[in-house]
This record gives sequence, C-alpha cells and structure tokens, in this order.
Amino acid sequence: MSANSISGNAGPRGCSGWLHCRIGGFDLRLDWDVAPGRTLVLFGPSGAGKTTALRAVAGLLRPIAGRVEIDGQAVYDSAANLWQPAHRRRAGYLTQQYHLFPHLNVAQNVAYGPAAGNGGESRRRIGELLENFELTGLEQRYPWELSGGQQQRVALARALATQPRLLLLDEPFAALDAGLRRTVRQELRRYLSRTGPGRHPAPVIMVTHDREEALALGDEAQVIDRGQVIARGEPVDVLGQPGQAAVARLVGVENLFRMRVQSRHPRDGTMRLSGTGPEAGFTLETPLGETSLRETPPGDGPSLSHSLSGEEEWVTVGIRASDIILSSLEPVGSSARNRIPGTVVRVEPRPPGYTVELDCGVPLRCQVTGASLEEMGIRVGQPLWAVFKASSCFLVHGEGENRA
Amino acid sequence: MRRDSRRRIEAPARLPVLRWPGGTGSALGGVTGAIYAVFIGLPIVALLARAAAQDDLWGAVTGDLALTALRLSLVTSAISIAVVLAGGTPIAYALARSGHWLARAVDALVELPIVLPPVVAGVAMLMAFGRGGLIGELLRDAGIDLPFTTTAVVFAQIFVAAPFYVRSAKLGFQSVARDYEEVSLTLGMTPLATFRRVTLPLAAPAIITGLGLAWARALSEFGATMMFAGNLMGETQTMPLAIMTAMETSLDSALALSALLLAVSVLALAALTLASRRRWSGRV
Repeated sequence: MSANSISGNAGPRGCSGWLHCRIGGFDLRLDWDVAPGRTLVLFGPSGAGKTTALRAVAGLLRPIAGRVEIDGQAVYDSAANLWQPAHRRRAGYLTQQYHLFPHLNVAQNVAYGPAAGNGGESRRRIGELLENFELTGLEQRYPWELSGGQQQRVALARALATQPRLLLLDEPFAALDAGLRRTVRQELRRYLSRTGPGRHPAPVIMVTHDREEALALGDEAQVIDRGQVIARGEPVDVLGQPGQAAVARLVGVENLFRMRVQSRHPRDGTMRLSGTGPEAGFTLETPLGETSLRETPPGDGPSLSHSLSGEEEWVTVGIRASDIILSSLEPVGSSARNRIPGTVVRVEPRPPGYTVELDCGVPLRCQVTGASLEEMGIRVGQPLWAVFKASSCFLVHGEGENRA
Repeated sequence: MRRDSRRRIEAPARLPVLRWPGGTGSALGGVTGAIYAVFIGLPIVALLARAAAQDDLWGAVTGDLALTALRLSLVTSAISIAVVLAGGTPIAYALARSGHWLARAVDALVELPIVLPPVVAGVAMLMAFGRGGLIGELLRDAGIDLPFTTTAVVFAQIFVAAPFYVRSAKLGFQSVARDYEEVSLTLGMTPLATFRRVTLPLAAPAIITGLGLAWARALSEFGATMMFAGNLMGETQTMPLAIMTAMETSLDSALALSALLLAVSVLALAALTLASRRRWSGRV
C-alpha cells in the first residue's frame, strides 16, 4: 500500500495543523505538530473541547477554520476549501467505549476496514496482529464476551489493521476499572512503541483528563481549558510541576499556597517564604525564581518596582502530595530544606495509597502507601513531620489560591 | 461486557419468577392476563372449529374464489412491501438522524395514516387520484387510470401500511449509536458501505419487525381498498374483501377463507420472529 511506498523513501511525516471549532458556548483553538512514533497528550477537564478536537482531526466534524496535515498531506484546509471526509483520511480513531461492532466477532472486527484487505497476505497480517495483541484464541468471541482490556486491544488491533497514518485515542482507559488501568496502560505503551507491528510508527494524539495517563503515555502535552491551550511542553514539566495556577488546578496539585517572600538566598538558589497572620509560623524554602517578580498580575506593571522598593512580594507555591515524606521523629541530619511539624487531622484513601492531611498551621496534604500508613500506625491526632526538598516546591503563575 | 455474560448465566436462577410469587399486583396481572388470553384465543378456536366442521373444507380452501383472492393478496402485498422497504428505509434513516424542522414535519405526517380510519383514507385517495379528483384530470391526460385497478389496491396498501414500517425502522436506526458509523468511517468504509455493513445489520431486528407489521397491515387492508379499488374478483378483490363477499352467500366459504388467511399470517409471523432473532440483541 501507499504506506509502504512512503516509508520507503522519506518515512512517515507525522501530523500537524491548527483548528478553530465552535463548541456550544466557546471557541476551540488548537495547533499541534506530532512526529511519527510520538504521542501528543491533550490534557484537560471534561467539556474542554478535547474530544471535539480529535473528531475534527478524524474528519467527523467540520471546524470553522483550520488546516490538518497527515503524513505530509493536507486533508483539510479551510483557505483552499479542501475537506477530505473521514473515510479517506486513514486516521485510526479509538473511542472511549471502543464501539466494537456487536454483530461481528473478534476476527471480523479486526478485519473490518477495507484497507485490512482480504486474501492470504491480509489474513497473515491480521493473524500477526491478533497474536501481537494477545487475542489468539478469542477470534470467534463476540465483543460482549470480552473483558474491558480485551475489548480495548481488539479496538486497537482493528484500527491498526487498516495501517492508519495517524492514531487518535479518546480517553482510552475511561471504560476500564481502576485496577485494570495500570496494567492496560503499560500494555498500550508497549503497543504504541511498535505501532503496526514494527512497520511504520504512526503519530498518536491522545485525549485524557488523567494526569498519570498523560505522564505514562505522552511524549508531549498540551493542557486545554475551555477551548484554549493554556500550557504545552514535556508532560513531566507541564503536568508534574505546573507553572500556571490554572494548570495546577486542572492537574490537581494538592497543595497550593499563597505566601510572602521573606528573604532571598541567591547563593543557594533558594528563597524563604512565610505565611501571614495566624499562619505566620508556616515557612517554606523554595527555589529562587526571578519569575517571582512577575508574580503580580500582568496588568499591574508598576508593582514590579514596588516590590523592589521594599513592598511585600507575593508568590504562589505548589507542592505535590507525593513529593512529601512523612516522619514520626524529627528528622535531623537530612539534606531536605523543609522540615515541618504538624498534626494528622484526616486520613483518606486515594488509590493507590492514602492522603494524610497534616495541620501545620495550614493544611498540608501528603500521599503515602498503605504499607507506610500501617507501619507508622498513622492515625488522627498523631504528631508527624513533613519533609521535602526545596526543589519539590514550584512557583505557580497566575492568580493564587489564598491558603497561607 | 463481563456483566452481561454473568447475567446470562444467572438467568435460569430467576426463572421461578414465572410462578407468580405473591403480591396483589402480579395476582391482578395474572387474572387479567388469563381473561385476555381467553378473549383472544376463544374466537380463534371457534373460527377454526367451525371451519373444520364443514363438509368440504379442502374444496373451499382450494376453490377458485379462495385461490384467486389469495394470489391477489400475496402479489399486491408483496409489491406494497417492496415499495415500502425501498422508499421507507431512506426516509426512516433521515428521520432518525436529522433534527431539521422539515424532518420533524415529515415525522408527524408519517404517523397520520396510523390514526386515520382506512375508509377515510380510501375516500381521500379517491378525491386525490379519482376521476374527478385533484390530479385525476392530469392522470387521465397521461393515460393513467388508477381507481378500481390492481394498482389502486397497492396504493391503498402502501398508504395504510408504510407508517408501521417507517416508525419501526426509525426507532431501529435511532438505537444504533452514531459512534459505530463514525468508527466505520475512520476505518475507511464509505458512508454507503457503512450503512450496509453496520447500520443496517444493527437495525435489522427493528426493520424486520416493521416489515412484519406493515405486511400484516397490507394483507388485512379492507376499508381503503374497498373505497378506492372496489371489489372486482381477480383484479381488486383481496382476501379480506373476498371474505366479506363470501359472507353474503355462504358462511362455510367465508370460514374457509378466514382460516386460510389466519394460517398464512401465523406462518409469516413465526418466520419473522425467527428471522429477527440475533445473538447480540440488546447489546448495541
């Protein structure tokens, strides 16, 4: 097929473009460029327009304007009045519920697409796909006779059987229960890395609202909120230590504090922050960001000089619950710059572990495993120490949350 | 899904429900159900008993009157159903998928013949296509003479039967999630191939049910045919009309015809029920 001839000379060329769609009350604007074999994660809350974006790229929905290029070939260009319908784009699309055809068995589902072909060559390839996806022996089963993970693999095999030039995944784990997600996610990672059994790795665009999924599968990430891309970059940077308040809230950073800069230590690259009022006792050592000067909203330009002239300087700082170590004794001789005493006020299960909330003058949420919880005998009222490095704290821009 | 397969295994354990496990509601339901069964069953038993009691049932059933009428009924209803299927399917699909105001208007119009008394439909058709009708002149100039012909029988049957098919097929198409069609498109199937290979098979049970209803309605058509097509043996005299005609001269003959029509209908119903069974029904 043409895929072979393309990979023969220049190799597949990925997927790029921009879109402008109108969804209900707001506009969706998006642009992207994904290389073959790479996975772009569109991260955002439900209703942000992620699925709309996927459907527009697949050709199932016509945007107001835009341009979509798949494998170096324009399939949509509003300026040139070009619109290729979905069935000519060769973009594999995995829906949230997989939508395996209920009147066809596994083998028939996988062999469904016309590009899957028929005859000996295609039978061999489909057999190979079934084997790769560990579906051998299930060929005669019907979709409702499969587990959630098997359904997902059939859906993926069905999409890959048509040798797509692009793979679109819409919340590929939403239909699975929490326990299964972890295993299936690892499987999917494995399959994506050798898309189309080692032939031509297609670029992947995946939609999710789950941070762990984004981190596990994404090579790059874009955070979308109400139709706008509000952050983009490496998933670890964008979602691990989000630099924007809006992103931090979407990602679900457990601890966000608005604090005053007490002193700066440029030699160590750190600064000391403190709470105010009743929380004045709560202090943190965080990375020194010159960025902290830009903390005040962009509209108030002059405040920059105010802060230099001895006025109070405010920053918002975030700490992930999983970056905090709990200790029942005061940690001495530790390199961690933040050692904060507190009392346990709440313990809540949060798979795969527990969230322990400490009262340190401000509520501080920490994530521990069930084993640690048991070993340390953590219970409400117990005094504990929270320990974390200065570099675990990250500064967040945009309006802060008034916590400390 | 897993849940479904478990439900299938559990099903036998729930069968004892059939023993009416108390409760005023189910007791009442049991009693009225029994009365209803007698109400429906008794006339049919009576019909068959009286028909069988006559001296020459076979002679009456294979007589000229019966066979001519039966042949006409089968041929006209088959043509009607073919037209309804060919024309009604695209309409039903459009109604199921479109939210356009025109579609909603057509939707309301489609249902009208269901509530319209067939005799009124017959008179109305006569007023439209009859000699003095609205477009009767036009038709006559074109050399077409509709009323009191076999074509008129087909017209009358389509008029009363089509809504039953369109309504059922529309519900069938609505039950097929758009996502299946969209996935098929992204797999490279053209819209037409998608319709043929995904939409149609998934809507098949409802489509077959609709065909059955429409066919039964066409076969039993009486009022509109009487008004618009008349009662000419071999030309417009279908089974129901033949039964009424026979009734005036010989009850035995009418009974034989009735039993014959009943047998044909029951056979068709059984065939349809078998045909519409799917392994995956209820899992779309």
